[in-house]
Amino acid sequence: MDTLTNKIKISIQGVTKVFPSKRADVMALKNLSLDVMDGEFVVIVGASGCGKTTLLNLVAGFDSASQGQILLDGQPVIGITPECGMIFQQYALFPWKTVQDNVEFGLKMKRIPKAERQEQAARFIDMVGLKGFEKSFPHHLSGGMKQRVSIARSLANDPKVILLDEPFAALDAMTRQVLQEQLVRIYEKHQKTIIFITHSIDEALLLSTRIVVMTARPGRILQEIVNDLPHPRNADVQLSDRYMELKRMIWVSVQAEVMKSIEEETV
Amino acid sequence: MNTKNSSNLALISIVSLVFFLAAWEIYCRMGFIEPLFMPAPSKILSRAIKMLNNWSLLGHTLASTRRVMVGFIVSSLVAIPFGIFLGSSRFFMAVFDPFISLLRPLPSMSWIPLSLLWLGITETQKYSIVFMGSFVPSLLYIIEATKNIDPLLIRAARNLGASEVDVMREVILPGALPQIIAGLKVMLGIAWTCVISAELVAAREGLGFMIMNGKEYFQTDTVLLGMVMISVTVMITDLVFRKFEKRLLPWTL
Repeated sequence: MDTLTNKIKISIQGVTKVFPSKRADVMALKNLSLDVMDGEFVVIVGASGCGKTTLLNLVAGFDSASQGQILLDGQPVIGITPECGMIFQQYALFPWKTVQDNVEFGLKMKRIPKAERQEQAARFIDMVGLKGFEKSFPHHLSGGMKQRVSIARSLANDPKVILLDEPFAALDAMTRQVLQEQLVRIYEKHQKTIIFITHSIDEALLLSTRIVVMTARPGRILQEIVNDLPHPRNADVQLSDRYMELKRMIWVSVQAEVMKSIEEETV
Repeated sequence: MNTKNSSNLALISIVSLVFFLAAWEIYCRMGFIEPLFMPAPSKILSRAIKMLNNWSLLGHTLASTRRVMVGFIVSSLVAIPFGIFLGSSRFFMAVFDPFISLLRPLPSMSWIPLSLLWLGITETQKYSIVFMGSFVPSLLYIIEATKNIDPLLIRAARNLGASEVDVMREVILPGALPQIIAGLKVMLGIAWTCVISAELVAAREGLGFMIMNGKEYFQTDTVLLGMVMISVTVMITDLVFRKFEKRLLPWTL
């Protein structure tokens, strides 16, 4: 992307994460390093249980690394930071708050006055196409709508980085596609730095500017691929030779890791 | 719900009640049972009319209701914030756990001698019995409700910039509210048993006193009327509570 600067937004430096357990300590991540530039859309692909979510939790400050550190704009991440807005697979909307109040939540925490809050929230609700649903409670919404509320809630809080942990994995294929396209449009408009986790290679190719493939546990980086597919990433792109070539390349490396993790489970 | 069906079911309930009362009335009128042991419903009704006319029935009922409400509201107002606090702090839970464990098994009745000694036969003494009977169980309900909050919601709130106090007010309190209210509904019933026991032992008015006094004068109809009034009053407060609940929990509709 032409607006992509060379400024490092997030720097993951030699991070190891060990979860102590009674039987044997589990090493989820091993000496993992990754730099994410300002305005990049990095998609991390890996087999289930490879430590993708662990990595994202470390970036968000939900958990701390056993070794190594994570820098956000050159400052180490210590504790939970609202600068890294997280979007969860299970939406994590507050069931007792309306769509409007959910989206306003971050602004309310910043003690922004009610009128301004309402105006801002309305803008983001409109952006994700949920105008008219402001007064609805989350349990009246479909999964896709809930995830859109969650995206609006995160954007309204204006974080420096948006972290998405398999956000569309629980949605049906059609809804997923709509949301993927919506996310790309939001990314193109706002140029936020995004780290997105998925196990779908197609999703990675459709969304990313760069794809990072992780190994089976303990998670390390196996491969990094700059996604040079042209925009807009519509159905035509998905049928192009370059798309197939990239997909094959990623699949070969992911497949080997999936086999490894399956073998480990059966041992 | 099918409204026709539910009104049919209500009709069945009414018929069942009327049938029971009629059987009871006939059984008494046939002289199968001594009125001292079990007066007929009509006797209880005429006692009720008599006591309504000299305002004493209303006075006793209101006295008990006021005691229950004051004790219950004070106990809830203390238990809700304290329970949320203990439920979200493992350190302070450990500090207070021994006292909660010691107080929990004590029935409210066991506090009556001490409360009489300290407070005399006063209104405050009645409130204190209701308080002691309902506080610890309410607290345990609220701690449990607080612990049942989905940790993902707390995580999401913190990620959106909420402080620990914000999380308690914005996430834990509303998230635990349905369970807290369900617990308080049970506690309201317990508060009534507390006040009746306090009034049975020492009081000058109230439904418990009315029952005890009826016993002293061998007025079994007064005793039974007192018991019926307790049931009716608890049923009415439960109905009021349910209205209140719907207003507080609009998202559960």
